[in-house]
Amino acid sequence: MIKVNNVSMKFNLGIEKNFSLKQFFIDTLSLKRKKNKKSKSEFWALSDVSFEVEKGEVIGFVGSNGAGKSTLLKVIAGVMKPTKGNVEICGNICPMIELGAGFDMDLTARENIFLNGAVLGYSKDFIEQKFDEIVSFSELQDFLDVPVRNFSSGMVARLAFSIATIVDPEILIVDEILSVGDIAFQQKSETKMRSMIGGGTTVLFVSHSLNQIKSLCDRVVWLDHGKIKKIGPSKEICEEYEKTMLNN
Amino acid sequence: MYFKNIYLNFKKYSFLLSQLVLRDFKVKYKRSVLGIIWSLLYPVLNMAVLALVFSRMFKFSTPGVNYLVYVLSGLVMFNYFSEASNLSMSSVVANFSLINKIYIPKYIFFFSKCLFVGINFLLTLIPLYIVIFATGTGINIYHLILPYAYICLFMFTLGFGLILSTISVFLRDMFYIYGIVVTLWTYLTPIMYDISIISEKLQIIFKLNPLYYYITFIREIILYHRMPSGLSFIICGISSLLFLAIGLIVFKKNQDKFIYYV
Repeated sequence: MIKVNNVSMKFNLGIEKNFSLKQFFIDTLSLKRKKNKKSKSEFWALSDVSFEVEKGEVIGFVGSNGAGKSTLLKVIAGVMKPTKGNVEICGNICPMIELGAGFDMDLTARENIFLNGAVLGYSKDFIEQKFDEIVSFSELQDFLDVPVRNFSSGMVARLAFSIATIVDPEILIVDEILSVGDIAFQQKSETKMRSMIGGGTTVLFVSHSLNQIKSLCDRVVWLDHGKIKKIGPSKEICEEYEKTMLNN
Repeated sequence: MYFKNIYLNFKKYSFLLSQLVLRDFKVKYKRSVLGIIWSLLYPVLNMAVLALVFSRMFKFSTPGVNYLVYVLSGLVMFNYFSEASNLSMSSVVANFSLINKIYIPKYIFFFSKCLFVGINFLLTLIPLYIVIFATGTGINIYHLILPYAYICLFMFTLGFGLILSTISVFLRDMFYIYGIVVTLWTYLTPIMYDISIISEKLQIIFKLNPLYYYITFIREIILYHRMPSGLSFIICGISSLLFLAIGLIVFKKNQDKFIYYV
């Protein structure tokens, strides 16, 4: 279903610091030197990561901040091209990496449902057909014609979650989004996620809540400094991860 | 195979494209009283100012043809170019938050800008024709070939926008530099004056500007009621295709690096 083959990802941390018009001309004029000079600020966010995910499996990712979890998800979602290695995927992906990224704050909720749906790759017919379902799930019936600019952040998140989860994707990528909205909506969104998972969707799941991971995932990938430290059954790995993290 | 992929991709994202263009229209006129009428009014008022300044103060004139039509025909073309290239330059940077999170072909963003300004351009043809009739210039059969120049202008702008948006990702200074470049370009393009007032030697530089040929092309038809020469057909076609090709190559080669410069 998903095959990640020796994926490595290099970032150049110095880019922003050095980049100026002056630097640009210096670099362009001294092409030769640039090739010899190796940047000191190279950073390998991922190095040589390989694993496979079967259809219908729910995989959790754990690791400290900056371990490469989000980068790995972005590579799988096709947002970033890996520096080395490749990813084989069959099935359509629904990336829920950051909710509401495609919203235009000046448009109303109604207009944003169409815009954001289009960003996520839905067809026009599909959105029209599911429009009522999206609205009723988000419970924002009374605010449909209000510009999203005037929404509270919780309302924006509810709308975004409702749009993103309306599809039945074959592969679902979830990066820390289950904690949106108020308590009631959190409950509702978790139920929704569980029903999606139960429906045979392959899920890649990043969270810092080990309880969530333990209860939702079949297997866990433990990332440490861009490398896979361990892969295995979720309970086992989570406990070991917790121990190591707290001892440090 | 390659072209088939492009077509399939295009089909897949055509709804997104239409949504983005629609969004631009909605946002553009969201809080203005006159709304879309501005699209019609703006170029006319712009023309009125320029015509007033240049014909009254500097005593510019174009013998044999109407000066208002002369200015407006050049202005409509140049405004399309400057607005579309400006918007497409910032389109990739402005949509970084999206590019960073979801896979969307990056060309969608500035293509939508070029289309949005393109639709606006078609609206500005309405005041152009009103002025053409009001000044008694009249139309002729050759007006049917005008879309050729519009398409050339569109392709040229698209190619130029591709280059600009690529550079601006790596070099944010481009936003300021280009503002100056456009101002200079406005004066170096014969919009308010006729190229014949420029000395022969300098004319060579002026004629390196592809916009000069697109504007001359439509003026031949609109003002002088004659078929543009075969040579101008060729120059228009080749210059626009050339820029589009360069733009596509530059963009394609660099688009995977964009994400590191967020």
